Amino acid sequence: MFLVHLWNYIRGYVIIIAKGGVERFINICARRQILLWDIARKDSDSAVMKASLKGFMMMRPAARKSGCRIRIVKKCGLPFFFGRFRKRRGFKAGLVFFAILMVLFTSMIWEIEIKGCGEDTAQRIMKVLEDRNIGKGSFKAGLNPRRIAADILMNVDDVAWAGVYIQGVKMTISVQGVTPPPEVVDESRHCNLVAERDGLITKIEVLAGAPKVREGDTVKKGQLLVSGMLESQNPEFGVRYVHALGRITARTWYDTRVPVAYEYTKRIRTGRTHENTYIRILGMKIGLPGNRKAFEIYDSISYDKTVTGPFNMEIPVGLTVEKLYEVTEKKVRLTAEEAEALALEKARLALSRELSPDCRVLDERVNVFRDEAGGEWLQLVVECEEDIAGREPLGGD
Amino acid sequence: MKREKKKPDKDRKPGRGIMSVGEKLAELFELPPDMFGNRPKVTAVGRGEVLVENIKGIMDFQEDMVRINTNSGIIRITGSGITIREITSESVIIGGKISNIDYDA
Repeated sequence: MFLVHLWNYIRGYVIIIAKGGVERFINICARRQILLWDIARKDSDSAVMKASLKGFMMMRPAARKSGCRIRIVKKCGLPFFFGRFRKRRGFKAGLVFFAILMVLFTSMIWEIEIKGCGEDTAQRIMKVLEDRNIGKGSFKAGLNPRRIAADILMNVDDVAWAGVYIQGVKMTISVQGVTPPPEVVDESRHCNLVAERDGLITKIEVLAGAPKVREGDTVKKGQLLVSGMLESQNPEFGVRYVHALGRITARTWYDTRVPVAYEYTKRIRTGRTHENTYIRILGMKIGLPGNRKAFEIYDSISYDKTVTGPFNMEIPVGLTVEKLYEVTEKKVRLTAEEAEALALEKARLALSRELSPDCRVLDERVNVFRDEAGGEWLQLVVECEEDIAGREPLGGD
Repeated sequence: MKREKKKPDKDRKPGRGIMSVGEKLAELFELPPDMFGNRPKVTAVGRGEVLVENIKGIMDFQEDMVRINTNSGIIRITGSGITIREITSESVIIGGKISNIDYDA
């Protein structure tokens, strides 16, 4: 019964009062397939009833024939409800606009997920996608998953297989990485080992070749450490060439000098701040009115606010808030200790770029001296232990 | 040879109208009698609803009584708060608190 009511509501119906000759009117309506329901007597010559919209249209001749007068009491149902909006243009425009937005937004990629590889491979894949202008906001219609997968395979070398699926607004890229092949030592190519930098040799492990240095020797850069040329003791047998292999561990020294400055410009925040807000939509940044560079000298910190949608999906719409802190620069006179500590910090930073990644720092020495011009310098010497052997191919075969 | 005229009473059975060809066929093949013909079928569900099928029309409709014309005479349904829930050319559903269903009234 509920379904019938719902159907009637959707189709629309009218509640009418029929006056005079009700029975005859009902019979005529029934015969002419005009559906009437919920007929109740109101008084001796009139009755209240419901009729469908279509039925009501056909009712006029029936009413005339039965001599019955009909008055509408109420119009019910969806057609009348929507009829109210017929004249509201804005409402209709909004409806159309909404539908267009819906279609537009569901035909875009809103999320890209890369599965099955590490962070750096994922970044390279993203780079490939970027080069082809594929990203959040690109239309699904212009994308060919097979083509994208092929592009990834061609351009990212440690990927053995790539699959691209587009499900709804989400693009999933699953890749299978390659196990890198072990480095093969080509023993047919003869070479020597030479020192890559100056040092004091502490340990020698030679796998192939004739060692030319001993533990405790100091070597210069480029000095021969292990020769790939094996000379036999009997000159009749001639010379044999090998691919020299080995680890020559040596102590090495690195030094750097930085000027010791007693003056230091300190940036102090004054406490005055200003916030700039930007709206991010698909990588575009739209500044809000009121954004300005409020101070002459300032530090700025910006952070992104992102909206997390349902199913943990990241929506590419958000706010970027940039906070400006006004600062004043103040020259500060440092004590000798503070100045040295500052210089040491700088020196360490400079050296850390120079050191090779596999070396082990053993010792650190600091000394402060004056040059002829009277400037004060800080020298930092770092003692390390590392493998200094480097390959040098032997000319000819 | 003089044909003997069939007495009309022969086809009459108590409580039924004149049988039509369809009804006879239905009886012959032991089909439900309401499949053919246009004899009224009255279905009362509980006390609040009566469905009358194969009607010819509404004769009278009052708050406490409704009279329905059928092929087997007039069926009168009395009660209080009588309404016609639904009406089509063949059937009518009467609602309300029903106290009597009378034939030939």
